[in-house]
Amino acid sequence: MKKMLAPALAALSLALPGTGHAQVKIGFINSITGPEAPIGENLTNGVDMAVEDLKKKGVNVELIKQDDTGKPQVSMSAMEQLATGDEVAAVVGPYTSATANAVAKLANQYKVPQVVPAAAKEEITKQGYDFVFRLNAPAHQYAQSLIDAALEFGKPKTIAFIYESTDFGTSVAAAGKDFAQKKGLKIVGDEAYQKGAPDYRSTLTKIKAQSPDLVFMVSYVADAILLMRQSREVGLKPQAFLGGGAGFDTAQFESEKDISNLVFSVTQWTPESTPAAQEFADRYLKKYGKKPTYHAACAYASMMIVGDVAQKAGGDRKKIQEALKAGKWNGIMGNVDFQDYEGFTNQNELIMPVIQYQAGKSVTVYPKQLAKKKAVYPFPGWK
Amino acid sequence: MTVFLQSVISGILVGGIYALIGIGLTIIFGVMRVINFAHGDLLMLGMYTTWLVFSRLGIDPFVSVVITGPVLFLWGAFLQKTFINRVLNALPQNQILLTIGLGLIMSNSIMLMFTSDYRILTTTYSSSSFSLGGISISEPLLVGFLITAAITGALYWFLLRTDTGQAIRATAQDRDAAQLMGINVQAMSVLAFGIGSALAGVAGALISPTYYIFPQVGSTFTLKAFVIVVLGGMGSVIGATLGGLIIGVTESLSAVYIASGLKELVVFVLFLGLLLFKPSGLLGKTRA
Repeated sequence: MKKMLAPALAALSLALPGTGHAQVKIGFINSITGPEAPIGENLTNGVDMAVEDLKKKGVNVELIKQDDTGKPQVSMSAMEQLATGDEVAAVVGPYTSATANAVAKLANQYKVPQVVPAAAKEEITKQGYDFVFRLNAPAHQYAQSLIDAALEFGKPKTIAFIYESTDFGTSVAAAGKDFAQKKGLKIVGDEAYQKGAPDYRSTLTKIKAQSPDLVFMVSYVADAILLMRQSREVGLKPQAFLGGGAGFDTAQFESEKDISNLVFSVTQWTPESTPAAQEFADRYLKKYGKKPTYHAACAYASMMIVGDVAQKAGGDRKKIQEALKAGKWNGIMGNVDFQDYEGFTNQNELIMPVIQYQAGKSVTVYPKQLAKKKAVYPFPGWK
Repeated sequence: MTVFLQSVISGILVGGIYALIGIGLTIIFGVMRVINFAHGDLLMLGMYTTWLVFSRLGIDPFVSVVITGPVLFLWGAFLQKTFINRVLNALPQNQILLTIGLGLIMSNSIMLMFTSDYRILTTTYSSSSFSLGGISISEPLLVGFLITAAITGALYWFLLRTDTGQAIRATAQDRDAAQLMGINVQAMSVLAFGIGSALAGVAGALISPTYYIFPQVGSTFTLKAFVIVVLGGMGSVIGATLGGLIIGVTESLSAVYIASGLKELVVFVLFLGLLLFKPSGLLGKTRA
């Protein structure tokens, strides 16, 4: 029986498209458990979808998943296992800034091409690591896109910053303050707050007394809603509220129509950017029963590129690195091109789209080539 | 001036809720000399109860106080009878370990049941306010404050005027003497823990429309409650009320005049300063 089965299987495998090529082994490090797991889930879904789509294209990926639990030291041992034990051709991930940065060092040391899908920390691609590539935009882009957008819509002169005193909050705000000054905006408020407090009214009243034209907020999930609710209470009314992604870029925030209306936020990706992105979003929704976040899209796009390149290079790490450096792709994230610029190495220059919540729906309003609707500016006041 | 008044007002409104949390803790401590490290988690249970009856039955968070209070009262009484009662004469560190353990079990069970996602109660008045001479007053906070004031008033009356209230106070003053006078100190302990956790639960309900809910929310408030209670004097209900208001206003003012990120620091510096000069707290009596 076995003797008959073997040639039969061989014949079958020849008949199937793509199986003529050997499988490529690709590692994927992600926060599958731990505090970042709810977001990590999006990345896993995106990567799983990419592996399926690659198969349809004739690229057979053997995906080896590693859980880093959100901790840098765990992600490092995961990387060592992938690089030396499993001998993968390339690695996608990890998710968080801290873990991605820790893994980057090892990736360069073991000369394993790493594509970071969604970590924002500036330094990751600023250390001259040839083998580290990043698809998503780094932290300073958050502020840059938002302020650029505001300057295009109107003529704001002053800006105030309110941000949580965490790594993410302070780094985005610091980049924002830098950029605002460069653009000639006067900084009239600079308030770091400790996240989780029930009352920001006094801070907001203080900001209100300065009557800034722009209010820039960086905060995580629930504080974003709290800050906007209390802004409404104290009657803070700038020309525009600018939300630096994170808490301002969630379905929960979107659904709070009363307070999210006409707030701007910045994101790595929107479904409406390209037809391909829309098609991805629809398929994702059907498969997983919820809307994809930008994390899912970034992970999907990263995996598609890595799978394709790795197979063409026959799994050779150096060739993959060269191909990633030289290549250009077009997919659900728009154009992807890893370049060296402004101190970055292998950084995809992604212009982050700016969205505005209009009547409970997020609409892309900036940059022009992606805009679906006109931005409402200035903020007309609270209802 | 507007900024100053605004921060004083919102400080007082938030401080009222802090006071309610502190009163619950101080009653428990007063009667049983047990430091309840699970107090914040009882508050968290109050929040989840509120969230459940709001999202499933559509009952307004402020109305749901009449459900949350009794539910938490029963839960607190149960905890006292089955767990706390056994360690009343044990070493303080054992009591602390027990209440910390109970708190961990509560928050982790809630996490298992409802995941660690943030829940936000959105009511029609969640962000509504009215203006009074240029100062905006948050409606949900004001309603919460009024309910707090009513409950605190009722509690004072209960403790000062009723027989049961006097029995509770007697137990707090001297457990043995109270027992000799024929007071059922066991029952009083159960009652006190029940009232304490009911107050925490009600505070959770009142804070729900303006805050958010997650299983670990308790720890922030446990710490705050301790500061309030120690500041006001351990076991003193009036002290806790005062302590809550002081903390609320201090936080609010220091956020404006010092820095938002440093408001907790200011609170703790004030706290340390007070302990240096008046170790028994504002209204505490030193026990000989």
